[in-house]
Amino acid sequence: MEGLEGYIIVGAVLFALGLAGFLCRRNLIIMFLSTEIMFQGVLLTVVAFSRVHEQMDGQAFGLFLLAIAAVEAGVALGLIVLLHRIRGTLDAESWSVMRG
Amino acid sequence: MTPATAAILYVLLTLGALGVYLLMPRTGRSLVKPGVFFGGIALVGILVLLFTEALAPRGVAVYFCIFAGVALFAAVRVVSHPKPVYSAIYFVLVVVAVAAMLVLLRAEFIAVALIIIYAGAILVAYVFVIMLAQQGNAAPYDRCAREPALAVVAAFLLAAAVAGHVGPLTNLAGSPEVIPASFAETAQEGDASLADHPGNTESLGIVLMTKYVVVLELAGLLLLIAMIGAIALSKKQVPVENWQQPRRPLGEAGREVEPF
Repeated sequence: MEGLEGYIIVGAVLFALGLAGFLCRRNLIIMFLSTEIMFQGVLLTVVAFSRVHEQMDGQAFGLFLLAIAAVEAGVALGLIVLLHRIRGTLDAESWSVMRG
Repeated sequence: MTPATAAILYVLLTLGALGVYLLMPRTGRSLVKPGVFFGGIALVGILVLLFTEALAPRGVAVYFCIFAGVALFAAVRVVSHPKPVYSAIYFVLVVVAVAAMLVLLRAEFIAVALIIIYAGAILVAYVFVIMLAQQGNAAPYDRCAREPALAVVAAFLLAAAVAGHVGPLTNLAGSPEVIPASFAETAQEGDASLADHPGNTESLGIVLMTKYVVVLELAGLLLLIAMIGAIALSKKQVPVENWQQPRRPLGEAGREVEPF
């Protein structure tokens, strides 16, 4: 199959959109949704490379990526609930004291 | 990718960055219309470029372009929508479109797992937390983004660096076809080979259980630790602080603390 560059390009743009969202949104939940978009971009890239090299390893990496994403989502949501209970808001700026 | 194609791609990515910047929620005058204009030009341009320059996969280029368009549009909406619930719903659209593109890549197991795990489990958890934490209308911190210009420039520079330098990718010459044809492709050939057709799940399972068995166990352990961690985090009793809302009105950039 030819023309796998499109997957890399779309994956890169998805990653960029997620990165932009993570950097400039202030709602903690949206920030973590943006990281999930970055995961989608990386997943697309990894599986596309699996097709380029005709190896199943890329798809295995993709499965591990899904596991990591699930772990991240679980811990992140637990943290968000905790932070929301402390400050009463989801604003990331309310934790700007951590900038040092 | 020829230099001319790369140059067109850079221009389109610049337009896309401008569109995303304008679409970010902001205080003051809404710039959604020009944002939609530039972002739409960039999105359609990228899809047309993928299609005409043969960067989309052969044979399924039309489907690829449709799903890529849906994924990119929905991703822009996720990062730019002021209401978190709508962001979560658009994220489901991203997941579905990415899963469709994975099917085109003969990765059916990953595609189905993606739908089940993301759209079925993770998204439900996200929506629960949004319902728990968010009240009514869009909060002030959702209505204005923080440093959108810098963030968008940084992100799209990265995308341009990756996308502009991707070489011609075809299946490496001479390597045998290891990834089994997808069910749809086999079904088109007739039912002759369906019985002894290895299948994507079987091939993936063989790789997971032989080459990556240790990693697989570690992934399971990681999930267990994360579950314990999440339970410990959410059961923790914390003192509620009297955190003051910022007295100053939010500026254009949404920054409340001066940079270092």
